[in-house]
Amino acid sequence: DSLLGEVLVVELNTAEPWPENATLYQPLREDQILLSDCASSLAVQAYLRMCGLPVRVCCRANAEYMSPSGKVPFIHVGNQVVSELGPIVQFTKAKGHSLSDGLDDVQRAEMKAYMELVNNMLLTAELYIQWCDDTTSSEITRPRYSSPYSWPLNHILAYQKQWEVRRKMNAIGWAGKTLEQVYEDVSQCCQALSQRLGTQPYFFNKQPTELDALVFGHLFTILTTRLTSDELSEKIKSYSNLLSFCRRIEQTYFEEQDRDGQSGTSQLSKGPSLI
Amino acid sequence: MAAPLQLYCWRGDHGLPSVDADCLTVLAYAKFAGAPLKVHKITNPWRSPTGILPALKTREEGSFSQPSKIIIQLRKQKYNADYDLSAKECADTLAFVSLLEEKLLPALIYTHWVDAKNYVDVTRRWYAENIPFPLNFLLPNRIHGRQLERLRLVRGDPTLEPGEQLEKELYHDALECMTLLSQRLGSQKFFFGDSPSSLDAYVFGHLAPLLKIKLPNGKLQQHLNSLDNLRQFCTNILVLYFPSESREAPAKKVSNHADGGDFDNEPHKRRNQILSVLFAVGAMLGYAFLSGIITIKHTPARLEEPHVDEEEEEED
Repeated sequence: DSLLGEVLVVELNTAEPWPENATLYQPLREDQILLSDCASSLAVQAYLRMCGLPVRVCCRANAEYMSPSGKVPFIHVGNQVVSELGPIVQFTKAKGHSLSDGLDDVQRAEMKAYMELVNNMLLTAELYIQWCDDTTSSEITRPRYSSPYSWPLNHILAYQKQWEVRRKMNAIGWAGKTLEQVYEDVSQCCQALSQRLGTQPYFFNKQPTELDALVFGHLFTILTTRLTSDELSEKIKSYSNLLSFCRRIEQTYFEEQDRDGQSGTSQLSKGPSLI
Repeated sequence: MAAPLQLYCWRGDHGLPSVDADCLTVLAYAKFAGAPLKVHKITNPWRSPTGILPALKTREEGSFSQPSKIIIQLRKQKYNADYDLSAKECADTLAFVSLLEEKLLPALIYTHWVDAKNYVDVTRRWYAENIPFPLNFLLPNRIHGRQLERLRLVRGDPTLEPGEQLEKELYHDALECMTLLSQRLGSQKFFFGDSPSSLDAYVFGHLAPLLKIKLPNGKLQQHLNSLDNLRQFCTNILVLYFPSESREAPAKKVSNHADGGDFDNEPHKRRNQILSVLFAVGAMLGYAFLSGIITIKHTPARLEEPHVDEEEEEED
């Protein structure tokens, strides 16, 4: 019966075309959003732009609580609310928009594996650096996370989130790592991505896929976010093909579309553009 | 040439060299890389040098615990199964190991440790029977709690309860992961050609328990059995690299059925029964003496009287 349920859902979804007023919700861009959330949000935005689906970005202080799964970003399309890149990819696929249809089985397996690599290593490293490194946590993360709230709620929420993330790191075996080891892991991950990308324009040659969107979201955010030290972005800058990959996607999908479209502030006004 | 390396891991059963996925991964990698390890198969994690299993003890550098750290240490000692891999294949290894950890491992944790029927009938029973007294009362439940906690943290939902919805989501991801692995393996013998590498060790470590340990609620097992090339891959590695274990399995199973219980534990059971009966009798007698139901008169001849005295009322 679960299969029948899924079929019904797919049919309901495909019935409606993509509306004009689709909205993406994320935390406040200037003061609140953190590195990991910004990366995830940018990945979703890149993916939707690659599919040619218009979406408006809305910043809300309580986006995390509005989301059905507790994670940002989430999109509000018609009367459906979907959060996180994986489910959003499924959702758009049900509506008939997909970037990975042209891949064969082995390529699809590799694409999913590399997406998990980014989630497993890059995202976890971002969370570690934000919440488990005391300097970054006290100087940047906690003040930003709690900025919309007043005392004492801001302290309570920030420490609660920090405690939760540290417990998660403990459970998956990252608690014993030092910052140096985490930087090393990021470097390894970037090396793997750089190897896979090689000299191609996108990971699967001519056409971008959700993997390209995910990688772009994370790498671009790391490159343009100011942390307590530059070591993380230096690690990425040492791979020139990754840098040009990010520049290419930024130019193709963000600058051009903003130039053509009347509305829409530049989605990348978070920090300085790539040099 | 190298200092003797000692590996502590969980004991094996059901035709496997070890029942634990991490231990299997490390054992397989060591075989692939030709590392001369002295393997200690134990059932008491507190006896391992780091407190958890698997654990690698080296003479100079101390002890290490997680599979990734152990493999790095083996590589440092020049036992490298990935020596022949190209850079792209190394990158693919990282990616597929991440896929295993993110998509397959949560479902494996669920099916062995959280699913009620599987946990009670198979997992807890095995650990309770094999871990020495008195840890066998503590450890299985503690590991169960820890695994459930880990699932909750990884999914980001502190109110997660084992149930159909969670099972459906986890198994959906796991089935997809297994299908993807099968597609990537294709008709090759190992993931990167003819000689095995660390990715093969990880995949084997995660899939072999699923293949060999029979579970009452076996949806993942059914799917794995339907993927012929993965099943062949696991049995191949077992036959090639762990021939002694796969030979033992049929013999053990026969004796189990014949006795209707664990053959090895028979003497212990008898001894435990006698000890507990003696303890109970001693406790009853002690209480009887202390509360005055039975008294011992000082004339030795009357020592047998206590039985008669019991039926009388309280006396001095």
